[in-house]
Amino acid sequence: MRIGIDVGGTHTDAVVLDGQTVVASTKVLTSANVRDGVVNALDEVLAQSGADHAAIEAVMIGTTQFTNAVIERRELAATAIVRVALPSGALIPPMIDWPEDIAAALGRHVYMIHGGRTYDGFPIAPLSCDEIDAVTSDLIAKGIRLIAVSAVFSPSDPSQELEVAARILEKMPAARLTLSHKIGRMGLLERENAALLNASLLPLADKVVASFAAALADRQISCPFYVSQNDGTLMSADFAAEFPALTFASGPTNSLRGASLLTQLNDAVVVDIGGTTSDIGVLQDGFPRQSNVAIEVGGVRTNFRMPDIQAIGLGGGSVVLDDGNTIGPTSVGYRLVKEGLVFGGSTLTATDITVASGAADIGDADALTGLDSALVETAVRNIHSIIDTGIDQMKSSRDPVPVILVGGGAVLVSRSLATASELHRPQHSGVANAIGAANAQVGRETERIVSYRRMPRDQVIGEMTAALKGELEQAGASSETIRVADIEETAISYMADDATRIRIKLVGDLSFGQRGAN
Amino acid sequence: MPATITHDDIADLCTGSVFLATGGGGDPYVSQILVQEALKKYGPVELTPVSAIPDDALVVAIGEVGAPTVSLEQLPTGTECLDVIDRFEAWVGRKVTHIVSFEVGGANSVIPFITSAARKIPLIDGDGMGRALPEAQMMTFAIEGVRPGPAVAVDYSGGCVYFDTQDTLLYERQVRNIAMAMGGMVFTAEHPMTAEEARRAIVPGTISFALELGRTLNANFGNARQVEAPIRALFERSDYGILKHLYTGKIVDIQRKIMGGFDVGEAVIESVGGDRGSMHLSIKNEFLVATVDDQVVASVPDLITMVDHETSSPINSERVHYGQRVTVFGIGCPPHYRSARALQVVAPRAFGFDFDFVPIEDL
Repeated sequence: MRIGIDVGGTHTDAVVLDGQTVVASTKVLTSANVRDGVVNALDEVLAQSGADHAAIEAVMIGTTQFTNAVIERRELAATAIVRVALPSGALIPPMIDWPEDIAAALGRHVYMIHGGRTYDGFPIAPLSCDEIDAVTSDLIAKGIRLIAVSAVFSPSDPSQELEVAARILEKMPAARLTLSHKIGRMGLLERENAALLNASLLPLADKVVASFAAALADRQISCPFYVSQNDGTLMSADFAAEFPALTFASGPTNSLRGASLLTQLNDAVVVDIGGTTSDIGVLQDGFPRQSNVAIEVGGVRTNFRMPDIQAIGLGGGSVVLDDGNTIGPTSVGYRLVKEGLVFGGSTLTATDITVASGAADIGDADALTGLDSALVETAVRNIHSIIDTGIDQMKSSRDPVPVILVGGGAVLVSRSLATASELHRPQHSGVANAIGAANAQVGRETERIVSYRRMPRDQVIGEMTAALKGELEQAGASSETIRVADIEETAISYMADDATRIRIKLVGDLSFGQRGAN
Repeated sequence: MPATITHDDIADLCTGSVFLATGGGGDPYVSQILVQEALKKYGPVELTPVSAIPDDALVVAIGEVGAPTVSLEQLPTGTECLDVIDRFEAWVGRKVTHIVSFEVGGANSVIPFITSAARKIPLIDGDGMGRALPEAQMMTFAIEGVRPGPAVAVDYSGGCVYFDTQDTLLYERQVRNIAMAMGGMVFTAEHPMTAEEARRAIVPGTISFALELGRTLNANFGNARQVEAPIRALFERSDYGILKHLYTGKIVDIQRKIMGGFDVGEAVIESVGGDRGSMHLSIKNEFLVATVDDQVVASVPDLITMVDHETSSPINSERVHYGQRVTVFGIGCPPHYRSARALQVVAPRAFGFDFDFVPIEDL
């Protein structure tokens, strides 16, 4: 059995899963110290399920703590960036476009040294040990030991980042480093931003991981635990302590993964209808489709692997105006339970419309007796048309797709949708995040710019997948389950040599059977 | 009245130039930062109208050549565009009196501002395309008979190559291969012009136009229906002459492949409202041909621009994807591209299409 826990800003949810079956679930308030909320949720699901603690094979935790730390600019430690790129990029130093408050939180300790490689692997400039040593001495003098290192085209060739890191550690064994090739994709500014945010979160990560471990130890749960990443796969606790930034946006990802597990659908559109907005995401092969554009986290541009989510202004609390012709984006939000007509309030909301149409039994339907039936019909049609349009913008071909409805506002959809080949309303969708966290897959990806004229495509893919497979096995995946989840190839325009950017992702199942391996 | 451009104008200028880039030209994000920093440091740049070029001028075109995608990873140093002009002057033994942008589309519309601000070399209000196009021989400089050499290319590591090529088609091959060998992108100073050549060859007024267009788009932020009237008025008052609403609809199909360094593809748009039929857009880095039910409604060298219908932000051809709600505008090209000599290199046939160019106002 596995336990999935989702630590959100307001609620901490937990589920016990036996295979794909939900055996127990709960929702408790998140505590200020996080740990108490986790312990409470654990106690509750363990009691509900009656599970023997020894039968718990793994615990998976999804958490928003690191995202919130960045957004609220708290618990971010002084961090340096060493960029290996000179002479290129000299006038575009790291952190150039950061908001002042978060730059100040990290301290703008910016260093640029010679090095880096061109897209085809040619050195831009040789590395200089003297330069690295000078940076290290300065960092020692300032007492900064959290360091991000970025080198040009390190996703294709990480050797220079590794060399710089080794040299710094030689002189400063207490240094903790985040190397950009471990955390981001092509796009130097965005990748080094990601590495910087990650390094600045390392002390908090130690604390969080230790507090999860203590919470589990407290309840005599001795199995390994994992933390969910933004791409829908898991990382071990040790790995999470090194790469806390990989948890950014894992909430929406887990919601999508949970919807997939609850319906056993791998390819579908998921609509999470809340009180004010609906989040629409796409499942491809069981994982969320990822966004291709630079994504800001707390005002900092990054290129993390974030799910491609479209928010539309429609939810259970959306205000209905104009004889049912205008639905939202204004919403009464969490005040729905006071202001909605069926709750004795005076605002006509999307929820009231749904009750009036007979599609749901919520609150006091008698409060709606005076409502014009033509208005209700118009509003119901508009609600469906808004969701249809949102789904249509997200799906990737013109054919209708399976649609999974989750969230408290899922009742708003009472009729068929033109974009949906089938509609699913899974049970337990209120704890979809925790269910999504309790998946059992690990993943790794890698990226290069290559020319298939110089190296045949098969050979490129062979080399890249072999390296990834090794990493996945180390991360605990059983080798026979490892498969290619995605190969994305993008030709680079205005290049005469058929240069292609290729990104490969592998996933594999965690091998729970091998007890004691951890 | 000469326009003065400050660092506050650069964001608007970038918006306008992405609109005029017709889907090509790359992401100007890094260039925008560089130029804003340069203008803060060196002060504003005054644009010289083409009509004010003095008789003894030496005008040189500068800009970037290569793959914009690469420079999102290997950033420019930021001084290449100064180095390139210094090296050009040292080589030819003359001071450059004015510089001009290759193209008003994408990053190349703003890069020359750094050179102008730092070296105090006046920047001409104009460019060599009035839009974005992929190759050197398509610039009005080449079409009007200006030779590419002497030309200088500088890479991001300070490497430098000198060209004394007389033919722009050959120069295009040389410089693109040099760019590939030097890390993917180079800055060049090329197509040196006398006053007489510059007055004839430069598409006038396009930099200040791009700024005004960007300002109008940003000030009228809203859906494509809202921005249409103000930008139409702007285009009608300019050398572009005409802006037509071609289609509003949804991307229902997008196919692309890479051939010889070009992102070649086709997008299909179907109406969600009133427009009839379906639109097919042919892409070769830029949007080149638009048809509705197999009838051509606009084609290169006229401009075809696609914007997000809700926000009116121009969409780069690499970013087109299924489901986007878009509006497509067709815009007349500058008169420079309507001559028989120009059409030999920029008409649909020059891009491999089997039909003759018909101006957008006659379609």
